[in-house]
Amino acid sequence: MLSFISFSSQHTDSTYHRSTRHHPDVEDLMDVDDDDFSGSEPKLTCPGETITSSQAFMRGHGTYVDKEDVIASVVGTVERVNKLVTVRAIRTRYNPEVGDLVVGRITEVQPRRWKVDANSRQDAILMLSSVNLPGGVQRRKLESDELQMRNFFEEGDLLVAEVQAFFSDGAMSLHTRSLKYGKLRNGQLVTVPPILVRRLKSHFISLPCGVDLILGLNGYIWVSKQAKDNDQGEEGFDAEAVYSNQNDDIDNATRAAISRVGNIIRVFADHFVPLTDTLLLEAYEWVIEQEGDAKYLLLGDTGDALVAAMSIRG
Amino acid sequence: MASISKAEKAYVQSSLLSNPPLRADGRGLIDFRTIALESGIAPIANGSARVSIGTNAQDGGGGTEVVAAAKLEVESVGDGEGVDGGRVVCSVSCSPTAYPLLSPNALDDLQHDMTSVLNATLSHPTIRPKNLCILPGRKSWLLNLDVIVFSDAGNIFDAIFMAARAALWDTKVPRTKSVQYRAKKSDRSDATQAMDMDVDETAHVGSALDTRQTIEVADFELPDYWDEGEPLNGRQAWPVCLTLNLLPALHFLDATLQEEASVPLKLLVFYSFLSDATPLLRGMRLLGTGVSDLVQVNSLLKDGEKYARNVWLALEGKLKDEDLRRNQKARERFLNR
Repeated sequence: MLSFISFSSQHTDSTYHRSTRHHPDVEDLMDVDDDDFSGSEPKLTCPGETITSSQAFMRGHGTYVDKEDVIASVVGTVERVNKLVTVRAIRTRYNPEVGDLVVGRITEVQPRRWKVDANSRQDAILMLSSVNLPGGVQRRKLESDELQMRNFFEEGDLLVAEVQAFFSDGAMSLHTRSLKYGKLRNGQLVTVPPILVRRLKSHFISLPCGVDLILGLNGYIWVSKQAKDNDQGEEGFDAEAVYSNQNDDIDNATRAAISRVGNIIRVFADHFVPLTDTLLLEAYEWVIEQEGDAKYLLLGDTGDALVAAMSIRG
Repeated sequence: MASISKAEKAYVQSSLLSNPPLRADGRGLIDFRTIALESGIAPIANGSARVSIGTNAQDGGGGTEVVAAAKLEVESVGDGEGVDGGRVVCSVSCSPTAYPLLSPNALDDLQHDMTSVLNATLSHPTIRPKNLCILPGRKSWLLNLDVIVFSDAGNIFDAIFMAARAALWDTKVPRTKSVQYRAKKSDRSDATQAMDMDVDETAHVGSALDTRQTIEVADFELPDYWDEGEPLNGRQAWPVCLTLNLLPALHFLDATLQEEASVPLKLLVFYSFLSDATPLLRGMRLLGTGVSDLVQVNSLLKDGEKYARNVWLALEGKLKDEDLRRNQKARERFLNR
């Protein structure tokens, strides 16, 4: 029923402290040329590590200048563009770009707009004019729509949307002006660090077991039952269907599959493995071969075995 | 605590009510997530423990994490707030990082609620430990049990009570000796004598008719400064908490945040077990907006006792392991010094 374990102790590698380590760029401060930066492995750096001299380079995000050196202030990869040195952090809030697909949760309903939590530094904004209104995609906004905004999205609702633009303060502006965007149902949400979701061609993944995945670039992943493709077209835009909170009937096999996929994603997130559609497909086949219940993935050993198997194949 | 959409709530409920019941991560209805426990984490405190439910083994993130520490303080009986025989005061504080979406006022309210649940159960006079008295009627120990919630991923009360029990199990009460100061009649200079509680009849000069039993013991001392002390009395009395999440037809344990938000009613039961495995119900709470009836609560108490016994035995085993581990470490350190 329950089991107790101990906290895993941080194993300190004894060789780590034996000699002073310098960042490779520090060793040839004076003659940093192009060959050092381009074409090599991305260089990982930690806070406090000197990257380069500040005489030759300008500092960007994730760095600061101390006397004559550019020093990293976050853990991440060093990037260089001409004379600009930046450090892109590894564990950070979601940094949005225009055109990103995000899964968000409504936090507030305001006049003519919704505030959406998208795991970023600020809440995103979804304008009433950026959603599809029932009765046709081209329908005009009415006064009554403004007063009945909760008929569309309420506090707590999950939705999938695209980043349209940015406000002047950096907040995202979202839109759901496509039939594949909108309110989410028939499934469960899994949260992973945003950096693990790679930018793919399509973030709507369909697994053969009848499970659909929506990989939000902000780290929110929606695992649900496969949506039937019914070709409604632009005219048959049914409000009852799109903004309804009613789940479809889901059979037990699909529910078990959804749990399994959710656990697979959690295992990869715990081991900090980036997620792609091919990886998830292979992982699901491997798990099916093991023939265990979904919950065995939660045990440490099965998870480790899964990650090891995937890294061998991929 | 988490906001959840209607569709998600309906999904969780329909999965639980399906046959066989299915939870979001595939666990059974009475399966717990892995629980990590460590005692003695705060050397300055008299007893401490850290419990985390469902943390990620790779980097220790996620999950419900709770730290409890017990600190002893001397207080005066009578003119102070002290009670003859000592007392226990518990408090829970929630770190703002545990509930990032709550305003400071809401956080205060939440802390207050958790404190009242913990206090009502653990500060009760019936389970007060016997060795908290220093000088009867004069000085006693006040045991401050402070619990900090660092992160909440569901099942917070079970974690709080587990940490509290582990911290109290770990608590050592310093041994004290009472001391009496008496003027020597012969040379009228003060001299200290360490004495037993009984007044020495032969040295007492005064009228034979004076039959007052004056308590002359005035102070106490620690005979051995470096001695940690004896374990706190009453280890069998500190209860474990079990949270039963109730849907109309079934109940389940160790809910995640989504599951807690989908369930209208929770029943907290506090059980402790004597060494001969007799169960003692120490308290009970209903939380939430739903309703229940006496018949359901009765049957739930029976189930709750069964589950609580499992938790109790597992916790006891782990605490004994922890004692062993720490003695082992101390011995190794002594050998390698």
